[in-house]
Amino acid sequence: MKRFVLFALIALFAFGMALGQDKIKITFWHAMGGWRVPFIERMVQDFNLTHPWIEVTVEYKGSYRDTLNAALAAARAGNPPHIVHSFEVGTQMNLDSGIFVSLEELIDKYGLIVPWEDYIDAALNYYRVGGKLFCMPWNSSNPILYYNKTMLDAVGVEMPRKPTFEDIYEISKKLVEAKVAEYGITWPLHSWFFEQWMANMGVDLVNNQNGRADYATEINLLDPAAIEIMSWWKKLYDEGLWVNPGRENWSQARQIFISGQSAMLISSTSDVTRMENAAVEQGFELGTAFLPISSKYERHGVVIGGGALWVTGNHPDEELEAAATFVVWMTQVAQTIRWHQGTGYFPIRDSAVEILEKEGWFVTHPNHRTALDQLRETKLVTATQGALMGNFLEARTFIEDAIEAILAGTPIETALSEAKAKIDQGLKDYLELVGG
Amino acid sequence: MQSKFPNRWLPLILLLPTIAVCAVFLYYPVAQSFEWSLYRAAFMGLKRIYVGFQNYVRLFTSSDYHKSLVVSLIFAAGVVVIGLSISLAIALLANRKIRGARIYRLLLIWPYALSPAVAGTIWLFLFNPTSGVLTYFTDRFFGFRLDWLTNANLALLGVIVAAVWKNLGYNIVFFLAGLQNVPGEILEAARIDGAGPWKCFWKVTFPLLSPTTFFLFIMNLIYAFFGAFGLIDVMTKGGPVNATNILIYNLYRDAFQHNKWGMASAQSVILFVLVVVLTLIQFRTTGRRVHYGA
Repeated sequence: MKRFVLFALIALFAFGMALGQDKIKITFWHAMGGWRVPFIERMVQDFNLTHPWIEVTVEYKGSYRDTLNAALAAARAGNPPHIVHSFEVGTQMNLDSGIFVSLEELIDKYGLIVPWEDYIDAALNYYRVGGKLFCMPWNSSNPILYYNKTMLDAVGVEMPRKPTFEDIYEISKKLVEAKVAEYGITWPLHSWFFEQWMANMGVDLVNNQNGRADYATEINLLDPAAIEIMSWWKKLYDEGLWVNPGRENWSQARQIFISGQSAMLISSTSDVTRMENAAVEQGFELGTAFLPISSKYERHGVVIGGGALWVTGNHPDEELEAAATFVVWMTQVAQTIRWHQGTGYFPIRDSAVEILEKEGWFVTHPNHRTALDQLRETKLVTATQGALMGNFLEARTFIEDAIEAILAGTPIETALSEAKAKIDQGLKDYLELVGG
Repeated sequence: MQSKFPNRWLPLILLLPTIAVCAVFLYYPVAQSFEWSLYRAAFMGLKRIYVGFQNYVRLFTSSDYHKSLVVSLIFAAGVVVIGLSISLAIALLANRKIRGARIYRLLLIWPYALSPAVAGTIWLFLFNPTSGVLTYFTDRFFGFRLDWLTNANLALLGVIVAAVWKNLGYNIVFFLAGLQNVPGEILEAARIDGAGPWKCFWKVTFPLLSPTTFFLFIMNLIYAFFGAFGLIDVMTKGGPVNATNILIYNLYRDAFQHNKWGMASAQSVILFVLVVVLTLIQFRTTGRRVHYGA
């Protein structure tokens, strides 16, 4: 029997090789630069080796925006890539562009087996629209607080696991007054953090159930939570406790923290590995905690950020099936573990987490544990499911303009209502364009 | 000096490749910009609705766009005036017959070989609010720190400085070439007539340089209006509070980040008209006083 199985396998393999000429060719465009390019190429190579009848060609296309624009241009020319890597804020745009097909439908159509119950709900929920899953969450991350434990020890404070805005203020003040660090805390001036705070405090960013029941028509920038967030941020800035590393300037923020000029940093969970290495190099002890929120609000958790894999339509059946197969393969338990350990993005499957647990991964990397716990403790409400907006990117620009204006002295309500007016107009225009 | 072609079709055939390239990569996109500026479009044009002149009306009534126009004009004036003055001064020094002049000239041209992204990053490091070299010097010698790129006025100054520096090499090359074409005998004659170096420069060299200056003026204007968005993107992303949001950056943001293709097309049409008008004014006024040939 065993010999028969072996024979059958060899025959199948040979058959596969013989078919080599007629491989199903599909293309995959992604948006992850730097050292991740060869890492992803390696994963694709492994897929091609284990699926000899499919040949995936992978290409790095620049930023998320560039990748999406290139895919749209290719679709317009009638030759879109099969799989496109896109970011969470592009979800509504991708849906309305009409070039993508629902992944869940493809999986059902071709009878692929995916144990959905094994996937972490918070990750799937973001991309579920109208009850249908549109794409596969791939690189998932959200913000956590990193701190320099050596510095905190020097002033004799301990960071709570779930700190509040007030905690951060007090600790920063102590650190700066004791001249242990020049600044208490930093994070990039980015709308993402604002969005995360709103969600964490349980407030939908936009109306119509965060744009999930229907197209959003209004942004909740004048909610008391928004004002609370901005008052705290402004106070930290005015008292010299938060340093502005620049607009969307992630690397600057990291560098300020690593070089010990600030004792705390809020950044993406995908930085955990990098931060751990940097802490060893710089000789300080690294700690992590949940994203701080206002003590006046209940903690709801975080919105899953990052990117997902989308499949485009208008291809022959066999190519669509191959594309779906590839996307599912990328989140197999083994790939999920490899992806998590290699890049720091979340392992989005329960069984992957279990295996990592058994291997003792979280004992040697306790900071990854913080990130994962924060995600798993997230309450499933529309706020943490994440907002859907067709003009999300423009909204981010206006929110960041408002933050800069507030820091420069514009009254909080004035700046936020100006931004709200512009974003609401954008929502209206967008709706006229796609739905009207 | 006019040469004759053997028949009238040959010149046209010889021009054809250029015309074809221009048509595909210049005229057609320009025509399309005009068309798209009348639409509200998204997804690289996969979806669009006709809105007439709404995009233009919105731009002309938007206080943000007015601000962007003012910022652009300040930026362009800064880049052209500061850039050309410094380049000319450096070119004069580099034109002297001193030892190692060739090496100096080579080094001066260097910044031009850098891509805007690299130049932007270098200045980003210098202006770094906590560990930048410039921040360090002001802190060390004057005892204060400046938020170079997060303070609205300083940020505009910062990007002007970076843009000027980036284009220095280009300007110096042309000024050097111009200076070397100034005939020695005229200068000698002037000197014999008793003109000092100051007078020699303003009465002889500067007028003879005018074609170069005029050319560089136009090129720098175009650079300030169209070419500087890479620097802005790396250094400030148009911030803080739109203090460095020049027209071309606003356009780039609307098209490639905000997915508003119609609005961006309308802006490109406005920008096009603006530069045409500026260039025409320039030709009409200064252009007449330019001396060609010595």
